[in-house]
Amino acid sequence: MKVAIETVNLRIYYGRNRVIENVNLKIPENVVFAIMGPSGCGKSTLLRSFNRLLELNPNARVEGDVRLYGRSVYDMNPIEVRRKIGMVFQLPNPFPHMSVFDNVALGLKLNSLVKSKKELHKIVEWALKKAALWDEVKERLHEPGSALSGGQKQRLCIARVLAVKPKIILMDEPTANLDPISAEKIEKLICELKKELTIVIVTHSPAQAARISDYVAFLYMGKLIEVGKTKEVFEDPKEKLTKEYLTGKIW
Amino acid sequence: MLREVKEKLFLCGIAIMAALAVLPLFHIIYSVAARGLPVLLKGGLKFLSGTLAPPGDGLGGIGPAILGTFILTSLASLIGLPIAVMTGVYAAEYPESILGRLTRSLLTIMMEFPTILVGLFVMQILVIPMGSYSAIAGALALAIVMMPYVAVYTEEAFKNIPFTYREAAFGLGLTRFKVVFRVLARMAKKGIVTGMLIGMAKVAGETAPLLFTAGGLNRIYFAGIDRPVGAIPLLIYNLVQQPYENYHEIAWGASLVLLLIFLAIFLPLRLSLKEVKL
Repeated sequence: MKVAIETVNLRIYYGRNRVIENVNLKIPENVVFAIMGPSGCGKSTLLRSFNRLLELNPNARVEGDVRLYGRSVYDMNPIEVRRKIGMVFQLPNPFPHMSVFDNVALGLKLNSLVKSKKELHKIVEWALKKAALWDEVKERLHEPGSALSGGQKQRLCIARVLAVKPKIILMDEPTANLDPISAEKIEKLICELKKELTIVIVTHSPAQAARISDYVAFLYMGKLIEVGKTKEVFEDPKEKLTKEYLTGKIW
Repeated sequence: MLREVKEKLFLCGIAIMAALAVLPLFHIIYSVAARGLPVLLKGGLKFLSGTLAPPGDGLGGIGPAILGTFILTSLASLIGLPIAVMTGVYAAEYPESILGRLTRSLLTIMMEFPTILVGLFVMQILVIPMGSYSAIAGALALAIVMMPYVAVYTEEAFKNIPFTYREAAFGLGLTRFKVVFRVLARMAKKGIVTGMLIGMAKVAGETAPLLFTAGGLNRIYFAGIDRPVGAIPLLIYNLVQQPYENYHEIAWGASLVLLLIFLAIFLPLRLSLKEVKL
């Protein structure tokens, strides 16, 4: 089993506040790895340290290490890290001033990843198909991304990330703002994508973690309480806190 | 009963104060139109294109001043807009840096800075060394007046973009340059353009920065950017101080032209502002 992402004694601070305490995680390749925990436990912060997006926040400081296939992301150029580790956000955020097509093409064009228009069209179509969106938007590629429904927007964001062909996709509560039917489509898509990619998904819903993940980590107040195969953690949690979280006693 | 009367009196009082505050604006527009329109009608097209009449003899035209205002505004934009937009981007992108914070407060001070001092400054650094008033000196003074407005609007436009789009753009592995100029700048476009137009409208009507820099030019149209140039506000300032009746008439006509230019930039702007959703 190859390890895609590994954190070593990871500690994260906002100013003087320590929000993540000594997290050691190993995330295997080609799985859906869920990080669950109550709101404010540091899930999103932890996720953003993997692709160094946390650096957009000038108050955040990271100690310890995050390794991508054995190599420290903090020794790499953040641009390179983010091309290998894509991200989908809680709020579906296609660029509202760009068409559906341009949203997907943006990363390819600006990163000079394609040589010709033909190749660009091919990859955009491929990404939209992979994101299970092609059939719904193939007639409206030139409409603005903001004209789509909430669920379609989120799949457009997934297509936008897929187009630059990352190895890993981080998802920060991707269904939190969606209706149940749209959420189900995204969940199906996630299970489909893990054949080729590693997916790390943050969720505040244990039910969602149980439905879609192979591995799950439980984070509480910045501490990693328990981690393991999803089935094992849900059927036989080792820690009292995990048990309480899964039975709804803490949230 | 007494309380109701008091309340009505109070409301009346406020309404009267408010009316007093906006009254001068309408009075200015009214009197400029009432005294300027007959001049424009009498002078016809020649009033817009011709050169200044001799003292006490007819209307002639204010062509050099109109052309000068366009030259000065364009040159000032050419100098000021790129610098101002970059300054705004810098202040928005690096708000935590010492220079970023300094820029922010300096811009606010610059907006309120007495414009005549800007004129004095440019006179010192350009007019005296060159030995002559010039279009380039006037344009530089106007550029300095224009820049803080454009920079502050640009900064605001960038800051109003929700953080999630910034994250999305960086998350794709784009460099900061591409995030700012290829993604965010296009989202902030309306705000930036608004700032540019407000800056241009502002300097098109400025007099004080031109007093010691542009020099004025009324009998020929254009002599070169290193030579004196006319401007409508400057022409009005000079004409009303003359003892000749026809010069006062020309000044009113020129005032109306200036007002129309200002409104032509400003009204579409105000109307289109409503469409901007943030």
